[in-house]
Amino acid sequence: MAEFSAEVFQNEFLSDGATDVHAVVSVTCTGAGAGAAAGTAGPAGPAAGGVAEIVAVDTSGSMQGRNMEAAKHAAAVAVDQIPDGTLFAIVGGSHVATRIFPYPNARVPMVAMEPGARAEAKRAIGTMSASGGTAISTWLRLADELFATVQVPNKHLILLTDGKNESEPSAHLDQMIANVTGRFQCDARGVGDRWVVEELRKISTALLGTVDLIARPEDIAEDFAALVRKSVSRGVAAVDLRVWAPQGSQVLFVRQVAPEVDDLTSRRTEVNPLTGAYPTGAWADETREYHVAVRVPAKPVGSEQLAARVQVAVGDEVAASGLVKAKWSDDSTLTARISPEVAHYTGQAELASAIQEGLAAKAAGDEATATVKLGRAVQLAAETGNDEATSRLRKIVDVENEEEGTVRLKRNTAKLDEMALDTASTKTTRVRRA
Amino acid sequence: MSAEDSSDVRCPRCGEHAAPGARFCENCGTSLGAPGPDAGAPSEVTLELAPTVVDPDPATGDASNQRACAACGGVIAPDGYCADCGTPGQSERDHFEERPAAWVAGVCDRGVRHARNEDAMALAAGGSFAALVVCDGVSSAPDSDVASLAASRAARDVLVAYGPQGSSTVQGATSRRVTGWTDAMVAASRAAGQAVRGAAEQLAATKGKDVTDDPPSCTFVAAVVDGDLIVAGWLGDSRVYWLPDAGPAEQLSVDDSWAQEMIAAGVPRAQAETSPQAHAITRWLGPDAPDTDARCAATVPSGPGWLLVCSDGLWNYCSDAESMGELVRRYATSDDPHSTAAALVRWANAQGGRDNITAALARVSPTVTGQR
Repeated sequence: MAEFSAEVFQNEFLSDGATDVHAVVSVTCTGAGAGAAAGTAGPAGPAAGGVAEIVAVDTSGSMQGRNMEAAKHAAAVAVDQIPDGTLFAIVGGSHVATRIFPYPNARVPMVAMEPGARAEAKRAIGTMSASGGTAISTWLRLADELFATVQVPNKHLILLTDGKNESEPSAHLDQMIANVTGRFQCDARGVGDRWVVEELRKISTALLGTVDLIARPEDIAEDFAALVRKSVSRGVAAVDLRVWAPQGSQVLFVRQVAPEVDDLTSRRTEVNPLTGAYPTGAWADETREYHVAVRVPAKPVGSEQLAARVQVAVGDEVAASGLVKAKWSDDSTLTARISPEVAHYTGQAELASAIQEGLAAKAAGDEATATVKLGRAVQLAAETGNDEATSRLRKIVDVENEEEGTVRLKRNTAKLDEMALDTASTKTTRVRRA
Repeated sequence: MSAEDSSDVRCPRCGEHAAPGARFCENCGTSLGAPGPDAGAPSEVTLELAPTVVDPDPATGDASNQRACAACGGVIAPDGYCADCGTPGQSERDHFEERPAAWVAGVCDRGVRHARNEDAMALAAGGSFAALVVCDGVSSAPDSDVASLAASRAARDVLVAYGPQGSSTVQGATSRRVTGWTDAMVAASRAAGQAVRGAAEQLAATKGKDVTDDPPSCTFVAAVVDGDLIVAGWLGDSRVYWLPDAGPAEQLSVDDSWAQEMIAAGVPRAQAETSPQAHAITRWLGPDAPDTDARCAATVPSGPGWLLVCSDGLWNYCSDAESMGELVRRYATSDDPHSTAAALVRWANAQGGRDNITAALARVSPTVTGQR
C-alpha cells in the first residue's frame, strides 16, 4: 500500500510584530506504483483495474496530412501502452465529438483492454479522418459521459489538438471545464504552432494535469506513451492537501511549486471552519512540493504558535502531516534568515508569472512591458538556476546583463519558441539541498 | 542580593539588568554566562505531581487525559498543539491546575518568556477551610522549579495539619485563632524552607557539587481561610490580596523586596517597581536564607469577595490592590474560582507573559464563612 511522508522547510522565527509565516512542504509518495502494476483490482486497491483511460484526438479539418497521420499513430501507441484490464475508449473530436472505439454501435461505452480489443481499437483509429471545426467542450462532455459509466477511482483523459477552439464561444469551454472539474484528470497537448497555450492551460490546470507543446508530429507517439505509463502508475486516487490554520488566521496562498507551479488557493473546499482541502488528483511514486503562506495575529516575543498543519488526505484518511510553526523572537540573527526552499520557490513562481506576463505583453504589442517582464525572468532564471528557462528565454530575447535583467526583444522569433517558453514556464527546478 | 553593587550586567537577550552573580536572567531566563547544562532545559530531578484536576467533558462526563489548551480552552491535539488556536500544549510542570473545592482553585503557568515554570502552587480545602500556597522559584538559581514545588507542598501539608481535619486544629475565638494560625504559618514556612534545603541537597548530591554553590531558592506566600478569618503569611514578593465585592481592596502581604523598601523610604510606587532592582527580594527560602519565618497578617472579611494568592507574574501587570480588584471582578463572570484563575493567567500571558504566572483564588462568601 502506498505511503506518504511530509517534510516542512521554513524559518519559524518571526520578528516582533511579524504576522506572515511561509513554509515549503515536500510531500513524497512511495509504494503507489507497486499496486498499480500488480493489476489486481480491488475496491480501493490501486490496480490497473483502478484506472480508466480516454484518448481524445483532434480530427478537425486542419489536422489533414502529417498531423492526422502522426496523431493516429500516437493513439495506436497509447493503446499499446494501456495495460490489460484497464478500461479505455478513443474519442475523435472536431466541432462535435465521436466515440471511435468502442464503436459507436457497441453497447458498452468503455471496455477493458485485452489483446482482441487492442487490435480492434487500432483498426478503428486507422479509420479516423480529418474534417470539420474545433469545439473542445464537446470532447470534454463526451469524455465525461463515458467516464460516468465506469466506477474506478482514477479517470484520465489525454487530449490532443492542433488548433484554436474556434467553433464555439470560449464561454462554452469555460462552462464545460467547470462542469467536469473534479470528475477526471486531463493532460492536454498541442501539436504545431496554431493552437493557443492559454486555452489548453485552462483545461489542464482545472483538471489537475499538464499542458505541453509537441513541436514535431513524429514526437506525439513517445509523449502519449509516457502519459499513459505515468497515468497507470498513479496508484493512489483522489489525494487532497489539507491545510489547517488557527482561529483568527488567514491562509494567504497554497501553491504547488514543484514539479510545476500551480496555484491551488482558489480550489479550497472546507473540511471544517479551520481546515481547507485542496485537490491534488492521483499520485504515483513521486515528490511534490507546496508553498503555504499563513497570516497569524502577532504574539509577544517568546511565544510559540502552530501556524499550519499541512496534511495529505487520501479519501478521509490523513496519511501524513507536517507542522508549520511560528516563534517570535527579538534575535535578528534568527529572524532575518529566509529558508532557502521558500526563497527558491518564491523566485520560481515569480519566474513563471514574469514569463507569462512578458509573452502576453509581447503578443499585445506592448514591447516596453514585455522587455521589463522578460528581463526580470532572465534575472530570476539565473538566480534560481533554472537553466532550461534560461535557454528558452535566450531564443526570445538578447541578454545584455543577466544579473541586472536587462534584455532586448529579438526580432522575428519563431512562434514555436515562444510557445515552448510559455508551456514550460510553470516547470520548476528543485532547490538544491545541502 | 545587594543593591549597592555597581557592576551593570545586562541580559544579552532582553537587556534586563541582572542581579550581581546571577547565572540566569530574571526576566527571560536566558543564561548569562557560558551556557551551562541547566540553561533553558528542564531539571533532571522533578518531584511527583499530585493528580491535576481535569475538567470532565460536559457531554460524556469523561475526564480522560485529553488536555485543555491554556490559551483558549480548546483541546490539545495529538501533535502537541491546540486544535483551535495552535498554541503549544504544555507539560504538567509548565501548566497545572488544582481545584480542591468548588470555591477554591488555582492555575500555575510557565508564561511566555521563560523556558520553564519555576512557580509552584499547592492548595487544599474542606468545609469552610482552605489553604493556598504559592512559591516563586528564583530564576537566577538553577533547579528553582524543583525547590518551589517541594516548598509549596510541604507548607500546604503543615497548614492542613492545623486545619479542622488535622492533628493540631486551630480552634477558639477569632483572636485566639489569629494567634494559632500565625504560629501555623511560621511552622509552614519553616517546613517549606526545610523542603527547599532537602531538595537542594538532593540535587547537589546528584550533580556532585556543593549545596552552597548557587543553591535553588524561592519565595513563599500562603493564605488560610478559616471560616470568618483570613490569615496570610509570606517571605519575598509573592502576594495575598483580599478583594471584597464591596469596599476597598487590600494587599494583605507586604513585599520583602528592594522596591518595597524604597516605597517605605518615600519613593513613589510606580518608580520603585519599575527600577532595575525592583525584583531583588530581601527575604526568601533556600539554603542561603538568613531566616525562614513568615511574616503574617490577618483580616476578618465583612462580606463576600475574592481571596487571591499570586506570584509577580500576575501582579507585575496590575500591582495596586484597587486595580487588581477591578481586574478580578472583570474576569469573574461567575463565582467559579477555576475559570476566573484561568482567565487571569490568560490575561497576564496576553500582556506579554514575561514571568511565570500563578493565580490561586478562594471565593469567600457569607454562606461559606457562616458555616462555622
